[in-house]
Formats: sequence, C-alpha cells, structure tokens
Amino acid sequence: MNQELGSLLSKKLESESINGEIINLEPLTGGASKEIWKFEVKLKDKSEKYILRRGSGIEGPLAIKTSDEAQIQKTVRKLGALVPEIISVSSLSEPLGDSYIMKFVEGETIARKILRDSEYKNAIQNLAFECGESIAKIHQTDTAELSFLPKKTVNEQLNDLYETYTVFNQASPVFEYTYLWLKKQNFGEIDDALVHGDFRLGNIIVSQDGLQSIIDWELAHVGNPLQDLGWICGNSWRFGNTDKVVGGFGDLKDLLDGYNSISEYQVDQETVRAWQVFGTFRWGVICLIQASAHLNGAINSVEKAAIGRRVSETEIDIVDLLFLGGR
Amino acid sequence: MIFDKPDSVELLDAVNHFLNEKIKDEVPPHLAFKLRIVENVLNIVSREITLGEKLSNEVIKDLRELIEKDTANIKDLALLIKEEKLDLQNEDLKNLLVKLSKNKISIDNPNYSTFKKLID
Repeated sequence: MNQELGSLLSKKLESESINGEIINLEPLTGGASKEIWKFEVKLKDKSEKYILRRGSGIEGPLAIKTSDEAQIQKTVRKLGALVPEIISVSSLSEPLGDSYIMKFVEGETIARKILRDSEYKNAIQNLAFECGESIAKIHQTDTAELSFLPKKTVNEQLNDLYETYTVFNQASPVFEYTYLWLKKQNFGEIDDALVHGDFRLGNIIVSQDGLQSIIDWELAHVGNPLQDLGWICGNSWRFGNTDKVVGGFGDLKDLLDGYNSISEYQVDQETVRAWQVFGTFRWGVICLIQASAHLNGAINSVEKAAIGRRVSETEIDIVDLLFLGGR
Repeated sequence: MIFDKPDSVELLDAVNHFLNEKIKDEVPPHLAFKLRIVENVLNIVSREITLGEKLSNEVIKDLRELIEKDTANIKDLALLIKEEKLDLQNEDLKNLLVKLSKNKISIDNPNYSTFKKLID
C-alpha cells in the first residue's frame, strides 16, 4: 500500500514540477477521520520534507472537504497567519483522493509532550498570549475568498448541535439542561468571521521557540469567532492539566491579552465562559457523531467506538462549570 | 451463572495483561496509540461488569424520588428537562445531574481530571 501511495505522490508532485524519489513515507498519528503521512522527496543534493493530509471520504456532518482546508490555509497564509505552505491539492476524483500536500513544519503537535517535556518549558510560558494573537489574526481573514465555507449564527449552530444529539436517540439529561442554559447566554456582539473551529493542542505545531503553525482546519466555518477562544479553554483540551485553563498550559488573562492586542473587539472573561460551555457541549456532540460512524456500521473502528464513551467526560465538565464552581 | 472460571472480568484482565506485557513494545508508534485505546475499552467493559449495575441503580433511585414516578428512567428525566416541567434551579435536580455524571464517568474514565478533582 505504501508503494502504491508513494507512486501516487510522485505523480502528483511531478505535476507541480517537484521531481524526485519519494522516501521515508510513514503514517503519523492523525485525527480519527484523516490519514496523515510524512515523507521526503529526494532531490539532487538534498531532500525536502512534506506532509500528506488525506480525507477518508467519510466526513462527519461538521467537517469540510480536505481540499477546502488547503484553500483556507492558502488564504490565511497571505495574511501572515502561521500555517504550513500548501504545495499541491487533489480533489476527490483524482487518484490521490480528497487531500493535499504541504511543507513539513518542524515542531511537536502531541499535547502531552508539549505539556510535559522540559524542552518546551519556556515555549509554553508565552503560548497562551501567542495563541490569542494567532486566533485574532485568523478572525481578520477576508472571508470573500472562502464562500464555500458553511456560515452559521450562534443560534443556528446551537440548534444544529441539539438536533444532531437528538438524532442519535441517546437521552442525556445533562445535554438537555445545557441546551436550555446556552439559549439564554450572551455570546458577544461581534461581526461574523472565519472560525478555525478546532484550535487547541494537537492542532498547533509548537517548537522550543513557541507557536509555529496552525493545522487541521476541517471544522472551519464562518460565524461568531469568539467560539475559538472558548474551545481551547474546554477541559477536554487541557490534557489533565486542569488548573491551566487555556489548553492545559496557560491562563485566560494571557489568551485574552493576546487576542485583544490584535482585535478591535475586546473580549471579556464572562463571554469566553459561555463559549466554554458551548464548546464542551459541541465536543460532546462530536463524540456522538464519531461513535455513530461505528454504531451504524459505516466503519468498524475501535477508536470511534471508544469515543462514544467520552461523552460522559463532557457531561462531568458541564456540571462542574454550571453547578460546582468549575473554571 | 453456569459458566466456568475465569469469569468475564478475569478473562478481560488476562487479555489486558497480554497486550501490556507482550504486544505493547512490539507495535509501531501509530498502532501503540490505538493499542492504548483498546486497553481503555477493555477496562471500561471490566468496570461496567463489576460496578455498572450498582452505579446505575443509585441514579435511577434518586431520579424516581425526584420525579415521583417509580418506573421513570433517564429518558423521562431528559424529557422533563426539555419541556421545562422541572424547576431548573432546583438543587435536587442539580445534585441528580452531578451524581449521574459522576457515576457515568467513574465507569468510562475514572482517571478523568474533572472527576479526580471533584472526588478529592
């Protein structure tokens, strides 16, 4: 299989005038729904490292096409946001399938390594501020070039999530309560913008020098952008470092200082809190969606089966936030 | 039960031991990640067999007291909240939702940070 993939990559890169032998092709641990491959192209006197990101063809209802992710990366890169350079894009009908090839960026994505390894100790000191800056830059993207992206108001998104939850016919008293609570919240009066949709450790590349790149745009959409700030504060993305509200590495004040240093719209902590509950509910529904791909027989995957039992993580986080003084 | 030893939990324990001792170091990194998931799944099944009924019954008992109906289940509670037929500020309701969430996570992932924080 690797040999076959290698020859597909080779042909695709030839069409971009990159001619060389594909070497060291290896799968990386990706998300649950994408294949990620790392490889090198052997050129005359050196070799260059690349990443292939490839959709499975079965996207969740919230996800966009992999080739559309490439278009977003190209657009935000022009703005100076930190994203890997796109080399080549393949549509679903091409031999390589719905995928793209980008330059490899040195650094780490694995959350536990970034949070625990001493080599990132200095980098994470300023990471919350850097993330705030980067999120604000993404939100300044001109969305005119991204007309293919789904556009949703907060209420539409909330109702979509709720309806998706009900489709699975798995009653959750906590989610019912959460939905009613969320309908009464103020999510900030800000203009619609490009939302990354999954900005957190795992989807950013961090080196010893700090934030290097923002990847994994499959949940991107246009809407109230402040949800990116609440999302990274969800306990699901703190990887056990519960005390560090921002991604398990930083404080909310630093994230907001970074954001507010770039954004005209100034965000306060209370608004982020509403988005934090929203994000936790959203992650719970995404877990349901992922598990349903296994349950309905579309795919037999122990990962997807297991994620069904992570819904309860979001429920305990929500009751902690709503009733028990959790942050 | 008419079945011989080992019982289901003991069988799962043997499989988990095998994966941990014999397989873990043999698999490439991208499969090591999946192997951890497999181990987690086996542990969920094991905990559910051992504790599931007790933890479930605890919640159902409180739920039936709260809504005063002795056949009520989780679906009934969800529906009553949805239709706002319960006072959402009622402390007993909040406590029930907390207990439900704690009991579920103690089967699914007792090492989850929020749960550990709350039981400390």
